[in-house]
Amino acid sequence: MINLFYISTEIFLSLSILILLLIGVFKKKSESFIYNFTCIILLVGLAININLNPQFPIDLFNNSYKIDYFTTLIKSVILISAFLVMLCSLNYVKQNDILKIEYPILILSSILGMLVMVSSNDLIVFYVGLELQSLALYVLAAFKRDNILSSESGLKYFILSALSSGLLLYGCSLIYGFSSSTNFDLIYQNSKSIEYGIIFGIVFILVGLAFKITAVPFHMWAPDVYDGSPTSVTVIFAILPKIAALTVFINFLYGPFLEMFDQWQAVIIFLSIGSMVFGAVAAIGQKKLKRLIAYSSISHMGFALAGLSVGTNEGIQNSIIYLMIYLIMNIAFFCCLFMLKRENQYFDKVEDLSGLSKNHPLLSLSLMIILFSLAGIPPLAGFFAKFYIFTAVIEQSMYFLAIVGLLSTVIAAFYYIRLIKVMYFDEQKEKYDLNHSIGLKMILVISSTIILIYFINPNIINNFVLDITLI
Amino acid sequence: MLAHAIFFYFFSFVAIISAIMVTVSKNTVHSVFFLILDFISISCLFIMIGAEFLGMIMLIVYVGAVAVLFLFVVMMLNVAQQKNQWFKSSDTSTHIPIGLIVSLIIFFELIIVIGGWKYKPDIIENFSNNLISNSTNTHTIGSVLYTEYIHLFQISGMILLVAMIGAIVLTFRKREGVKRQNYFSQISREKNQGVELVEVKSNEGVKIDV
Repeated sequence: MINLFYISTEIFLSLSILILLLIGVFKKKSESFIYNFTCIILLVGLAININLNPQFPIDLFNNSYKIDYFTTLIKSVILISAFLVMLCSLNYVKQNDILKIEYPILILSSILGMLVMVSSNDLIVFYVGLELQSLALYVLAAFKRDNILSSESGLKYFILSALSSGLLLYGCSLIYGFSSSTNFDLIYQNSKSIEYGIIFGIVFILVGLAFKITAVPFHMWAPDVYDGSPTSVTVIFAILPKIAALTVFINFLYGPFLEMFDQWQAVIIFLSIGSMVFGAVAAIGQKKLKRLIAYSSISHMGFALAGLSVGTNEGIQNSIIYLMIYLIMNIAFFCCLFMLKRENQYFDKVEDLSGLSKNHPLLSLSLMIILFSLAGIPPLAGFFAKFYIFTAVIEQSMYFLAIVGLLSTVIAAFYYIRLIKVMYFDEQKEKYDLNHSIGLKMILVISSTIILIYFINPNIINNFVLDITLI
Repeated sequence: MLAHAIFFYFFSFVAIISAIMVTVSKNTVHSVFFLILDFISISCLFIMIGAEFLGMIMLIVYVGAVAVLFLFVVMMLNVAQQKNQWFKSSDTSTHIPIGLIVSLIIFFELIIVIGGWKYKPDIIENFSNNLISNSTNTHTIGSVLYTEYIHLFQISGMILLVAMIGAIVLTFRKREGVKRQNYFSQISREKNQGVELVEVKSNEGVKIDV
């Protein structure tokens, strides 16, 4: 008998998707109700998930589904950030006519897919979770269907993502063929000797995953999709799939393919260096904030991958700390973006920030903190995130990676600080609206405070990852 | 045994000929018909080797859904003319050599990968252990699908649900100003809602608001 208690988070989310769908069909004008109810469902799901917290790893469904401390932590992070994203984008969604009953339901199903992905211990379970996650995201990207940019971004994401799924499946089939199993543990046992077929398979799977976290050279879709889709969906793109895909990266690399460390390390270093440098250089010329944050997230993913290329427990832990700080900074940044509105018109160009400090001193102060933190300037949280990664990298004497990382940080600092210059020293523009929801303000205040005071007690985040030991 | 061999050669001959005809025939609609013939003869082959479930799924999914969809697309878009242009006009013919190069590279890559393949005899042994000879394919697949792989089955159901929601949300439009017949409101209409008594003054007429 399978102990279904351990997947109660997933069961709860699936049931609530179905129930919300029924409510949406039979109750007229229930959009707002379903949106708010989804926020509550995410919180309840979080509570259920934290309540599970198994003391020892648990295998379900013939060892194809794995629940342990690591997956529970990542699932909680996904649920919390989904809740915050839903809360801060409520007004945007309402004012841009994309508040339909399907919108929160699609977000929920995407999160369900992510939870499945994170827990997967089998190639098929992983792929099915990935598809559930991305299928909902394609629709969300094209959700503003009368807007040509949104439709374009949805279509572009769909086609390129289908291509990468094809590559990923090809890799999976190669691995299945050469190790005669889809289960991660069995793959690990059967692939001790190095065979070309398995290495080919690993490379194809890494390509498919790199596409999902927008690592160079598989990043081409990111700026257009981030720019085209509605801002409330861009937040989701920038945060949620990346947590899930990076976790799967860790599960793959430090699970079935651990013996092939020498083979995949070079690939990860290449992806990491490419993303760090390209993300830093390409963002310089950007005029739109959403495109800029797309390139910035490419660069940040490069740093997170650098932590994975090390091959130590410390590297993995530091990557996860990096990911958590990255998502706090990104949520805060998008909160600021949601506040740039005038008479229900939202602005997302760099020039719209000009002279912000004269009209909105508090908003520009917190935006300044966030941007400094994104650039990695001490003593803010972003600095420590990068610092941990570099410590792990240098301890393994990978100096080239560390030097490239430092240089790209310097280049990236240029465009972050240029935004601050535009805010504080350029000429003043019209005032923006002040009638923001309390949730939005609260999230901005709390996240900027965490960024600001992280250095006093880094253990508020670091304690969570201490127990993660995969090697 | 002889009948078996004759059937096998017949179906494989039809499959190969129709596969060639799919690519050769000038008319796209004929291509789709040959594709359907190809699918059917391959599903017959499946049934002959005892994989009746696979054969039936092949019929339902490929012939019943995919090929008919192709037929609709071909008939609606009128691809027949476009295809001729691709092969004839000189300025757009660059993608044929490029396609050939790419397919050659993929072919050689496959040869390299297969070259590294070491035959694993233990797979065959495992298979023969699991086979139950006195139950049908469908029965065996069902007994695994609904027990060991129940989670995958359920999540695939969720994927189909999301696909359905997505298709509806992206294409469904509420049309404005459509007049629909509502029997209930028609029948429940009463005299005082429909008829108004107006006292008409001479030389002024009645103003009618509609």
